[in-house]
Amino acid sequence: MAETITETIQCDVAVVGTGMAGMAAAIFAAGRGLSTVCVGKPSEMSFASGCLDLFARIPATGTQTAQGFDDPFEGIETLSRCQPGHPYARLTRDEIAAGFKAFTDFMGDAGLPYHCSPGANQKIITPAGTLKSTFCVPATMMAGSRALAGKNPVLIVDILGLKGFGARQMAQTLKAHHPEINSVSIAFPGRETAGDLMCERLAWDLETPDTLNRFIDLLRPHVKGYTAVGLPAILGIYRFSELLATIQDQLGVGVFEIPTLAPSVTGMRTREAFLTRAASAGIRHFPVFVKEVAVDEDFRFFVTQGTQTLEVCARHLLLGSGRFLGRGLGKGDNEIQEMLFGLPVIQPADRGDWFSPDFFDPAGHPVNRAGIETDDAFRPLSADGKVFHHRLYAAGSILAHQDWKRERSGSGLSIATAFKAVSAIADDMK
Amino acid sequence: MDTMQTSVLIVGGGTTGTGLARDLALRGICCVLIDKKDINAGASGANHGLLHSGARYVFKDGETAEECRIENRLLKELASHCIEPTGGLFVGVAGDDEDYIKAFPDLCRRYGIFATQVSCAEARQMEPCLAEDIIAAYAVEDAVVDPFMLSLDNAADAEAHGAKILRNTRLTGFKMDKGRICAAIVENTRSGKTFEIEADQVVNASGAWADQVAAMAGAHIDMSYSKGSLLITQSRMSQQVINRLRPASDADILVPGGTVSIIGTTSVHIDSLEDIRPTNEEVDVIIQEGSKMIPKLASTRYIRAYAGVRPLVRSPGGGDRDISRNFTLKPHEEDGLENLITITGGKLTTYRLMAERTADVVAARLNNTRPCLTATRKLPPSPKGRWTEPGRAPKVWMARSDARDTLICECEMVSESMVDEIVASLKHEGAVPTLEEVGRRSRIGKGPCQGTFCSFRLAAYLYRRGQLDQAVGMDQVREFVNERWKGFRPLVRDKEIMRVELQESFLCALFGMDED
Repeated sequence: MAETITETIQCDVAVVGTGMAGMAAAIFAAGRGLSTVCVGKPSEMSFASGCLDLFARIPATGTQTAQGFDDPFEGIETLSRCQPGHPYARLTRDEIAAGFKAFTDFMGDAGLPYHCSPGANQKIITPAGTLKSTFCVPATMMAGSRALAGKNPVLIVDILGLKGFGARQMAQTLKAHHPEINSVSIAFPGRETAGDLMCERLAWDLETPDTLNRFIDLLRPHVKGYTAVGLPAILGIYRFSELLATIQDQLGVGVFEIPTLAPSVTGMRTREAFLTRAASAGIRHFPVFVKEVAVDEDFRFFVTQGTQTLEVCARHLLLGSGRFLGRGLGKGDNEIQEMLFGLPVIQPADRGDWFSPDFFDPAGHPVNRAGIETDDAFRPLSADGKVFHHRLYAAGSILAHQDWKRERSGSGLSIATAFKAVSAIADDMK
Repeated sequence: MDTMQTSVLIVGGGTTGTGLARDLALRGICCVLIDKKDINAGASGANHGLLHSGARYVFKDGETAEECRIENRLLKELASHCIEPTGGLFVGVAGDDEDYIKAFPDLCRRYGIFATQVSCAEARQMEPCLAEDIIAAYAVEDAVVDPFMLSLDNAADAEAHGAKILRNTRLTGFKMDKGRICAAIVENTRSGKTFEIEADQVVNASGAWADQVAAMAGAHIDMSYSKGSLLITQSRMSQQVINRLRPASDADILVPGGTVSIIGTTSVHIDSLEDIRPTNEEVDVIIQEGSKMIPKLASTRYIRAYAGVRPLVRSPGGGDRDISRNFTLKPHEEDGLENLITITGGKLTTYRLMAERTADVVAARLNNTRPCLTATRKLPPSPKGRWTEPGRAPKVWMARSDARDTLICECEMVSESMVDEIVASLKHEGAVPTLEEVGRRSRIGKGPCQGTFCSFRLAAYLYRRGQLDQAVGMDQVREFVNERWKGFRPLVRDKEIMRVELQESFLCALFGMDED
């Protein structure tokens, strides 16, 4: 490989991973004027709901039932007291808030605005008809959250052939909480006879004016008397703000999106917003999967671009490679490994203890808390408890002692830990 | 309290119970079958689906070997739609007991079982998955049977001849008058409604629960419970059934079924029937032992582990593997009971014979002299069992080639129209089409995604069709996922852990299904 290298890129920070943690870290690093390289394949962002969770729940423990929080910061304060090893316990409220502000500002500038309410979680409707607590809600979902809070009449619309998104299921499930809710099914214009529709395809379709107008005409007879109309998240990949405004204007009601299962359009929008703005923000992004990094004083690895092989030589490296889906963690026969550096992974002693017999165990599965141990600046530790490399950092779901799925803390952990790690890198570069 | 009257009450809807219901109905005897869950919810639905040639039993249990031989040939004729006549191989692996192997062909001959020696090279040509170091191979008449289709079709034919099948109906006790059961007190587990069934004769066909049912009438059966765990591979490993030619041990039998294969079993003595599930240790043993005969088992992907309980009637001394796999028919006369009969033990292959023998006793007690018809009359296929066969749904879906018929389960290719058929059939039987019931009648959730997407899609579809109301759907998804999880948890290895992570992020992080 070495003989075909066409360029060596020297940079202050290399970010490995392009999930929430990787994107956030790259945004923060570039925002601080650091030269930033970001590597990672299109990640499991295509599974993302589009909402930014911060914290909503402390899972049950042996002695305590699970505890829900309307105020995420109050929750984090309680959590930090009872779980001092949790990554959030290493962060101040100001650091978390500053991270969210920098991230949502970037996304807002990229055309993906969020609504956050400083001391409170908001509720969105899920495709199961349950209510989810989250911190920042994409603007396209806000009319639903407002209608829920105001107890206003809501209509949910689904599309024939779009499976796993059932308006009647949502309405029936939500009725107990929100009595004024109804559902209707419509056929998508131009795809009336095609079964098995995909959200992405429909989102592209709606970006054409003719399809959009026909879609609005189909909705019109159903919306009278409702304050808000909920649709699957298919209102375009790029021009969603504009499409939403058009539909609301034409129908004269509030319209909101409901996230869908994978592959989700909401996750694609986040990724696209990041990618389209990355270059102008000074981030060099390579959509490759890095399997090997040479470590001396600096971090060196190869990336390919077209037919070229480039060497990246980074002063700092931030590991935002995620858990199993992101391939940050992997599994040997009987134990979990960190895939890039072979860092020690905190994990249950026995494979038999990884999972609870109850999939929905309110305590979560023990394996969920497996991950990388770090110091207060989020630098991974070696087996001897010393820092593995004084310029290696980790952020996001790869960290140990958290259970993002059960805490509803996925985006928040990524954003906040990336923010603090990048602050430390920036200090180091001064 | 409501009372229902019948000639014969059958407790237990496994292969024996449903086979008995049909046998009695064909003799013109009225019967009601109750099951606390559903058809084949116990061991009848948790086995290899193997129609034994009998060769497996020639060493220790000649009677069972002969019974298997006869029933095997009979069922291939009479229930051919439930059976794939794959044939089978018995193979010895380097290190296996050579004296045992040498004795095998003579013993087979003694019990009239065909066992044709094939060269090891020939065997490996037939089944390339076999280990290179096999030392002997015999071809036998094993076959594969779909136990769900079999029982559903037996139940359907019984109903067509006047029998009543009551699912979700649990026996809570008997009203006794000296040595006579006057009535069975039963409860509908869905509605909580209690009622009585008055019957002239009561047959206890409750499998591993036989001692518990007998105890309600004051009788005692000394039973031993042996848990057997099995694994399902993602793809079909062999064309034929492959048996290890050695004394019964772990992971000796690989059975193909449609698009998958099943390897098992273990034999673990258990004391309680609560919470029967395969363990990590059993999974490791099955893979390790199985891969000596079929090396690919060490690296293949598995989609589910499951466990059933063999109801073994104890004879003094000896381990669970030594207890006869023959069946036990107990008329309970020695217990001073005049109208209870217990039929338990035995095997899937001999279910018809067990039903016949039991029906003979019942008929004699009722002074019914009509002959058994199940040994001569074909089992008619019913629509109920149609969608349980692996690989069937994809074929039908392709043949129908209607793009609008959206697939709910992409792994097993179960479409909306197939779900409609199952729902119609369930409603026709008076059952409520829940996720669990539709799942049991089809392959939904049984593919590699193990219900991650399809359980939820199925719920959405049933809501759309007006079959689910209010918030019950999410409870059903929770139950469905947990039932799949039971079989998947011990299998989570490298790739599977990604899927579990994805599933948890949908069901918990997004839907909040870990909340009350």
